[in-house]
Amino acid sequence: MEKTNFWNIFKAFFKIGAILLGGGYVIIPIMRQELVEKRGWLSDEEVFDYYSVSQCLPGIIAVNMSILVGYKLRKTKGMLASVLGMSFSPFVSIVIVACFLSRVMNIPFIDCFLSGVNLSVIILIYLTFKEMWQKSIVDIFSFFWFIFILSLAVFKVNPAILIIVSVILGLVIQKAKGEKSV
Amino acid sequence: MFNIYFLLFFEFFKVGLFTFGGGYASLPFLYHICESYNWFSHEELTQLIAVSGITPGPIGLNMATFSGFKTLGILGAIISSLALIFPMMLITSQVFRLYKKFSENEYVKSVLYVLRPTSCALISSVAIKLFYNLVLLNRLSLNTLDFKALLIVVVLFLLTFKLSRNPVIYMFIAGVLEVLLSFVK
Repeated sequence: MEKTNFWNIFKAFFKIGAILLGGGYVIIPIMRQELVEKRGWLSDEEVFDYYSVSQCLPGIIAVNMSILVGYKLRKTKGMLASVLGMSFSPFVSIVIVACFLSRVMNIPFIDCFLSGVNLSVIILIYLTFKEMWQKSIVDIFSFFWFIFILSLAVFKVNPAILIIVSVILGLVIQKAKGEKSV
Repeated sequence: MFNIYFLLFFEFFKVGLFTFGGGYASLPFLYHICESYNWFSHEELTQLIAVSGITPGPIGLNMATFSGFKTLGILGAIISSLALIFPMMLITSQVFRLYKKFSENEYVKSVLYVLRPTSCALISSVAIKLFYNLVLLNRLSLNTLDFKALLIVVVLFLLTFKLSRNPVIYMFIAGVLEVLLSFVK
């Protein structure tokens, strides 16, 4: 097992951030390879546990997972190391790409390729949607709630408000259930 | 009038706090920012989504960094990415201490029961907007269907039955198809 100091944690997550491409489930095999097999910092079960907890938390799943791992290894210091390591290469690569993008966009070939990639985002969202749908639309209520929120969202209602309303409704439902059973 | 640096931090703090489901789930918030301020145009946003998908790192983080850069340069990129991560560090580190019990808590379950369809609906609204902007509104002549774009979307849709879920494959295929179709006049 490798020593868990700030620098080592930073290095491990720097590597994870640099090879992570595409998001979603891709993070699980990468983390298993770097953290379980190579460094022995985590068990397989922990990786899956952290993944399922991260899905229930606000924010980006990969970032939440690195926060959980870093915090487990070295509390706040470990968390800072993992998050900084994770965001380092994405940050640098985005800044470099952003600096050159407007110049490169003048090349018709690149411009064409990127507008194709734009179109694929529709399909990528559809894939996310399909996966979310299976987990989220479980009964009549969730179906109508989906339709309700979709119609509000299409008419440009602030999404933050819709999230807050949903959180409150969830709490109220549980409170009502709790009182019924008592 | 708010200071723009503060406003940028505040907006991306909200993105970090209210995004559920990761990756493209932050898109509804980015569209909201795009429509509320003059920081970046719709076109720039679509472009930035495409680039964030093919650059290393989590897509949600890439999109936030890129939008911050579009708004205020390097300083903007630093502000937006820190602001995005900040709420996660606050909440997730606290949740760690009770993480086993956390996902089994009845209140957490009940909130997720309502939140999941909400996230699902929000992300569908983005797909509808994108489809409208990219396919129904022709990029060359307004108000007519863009047949090439529609063809690419249909091909990709059919491929979802065959291919794995790795997003990079779809991005690559779509890019190549668009380049090939540009030779067909």
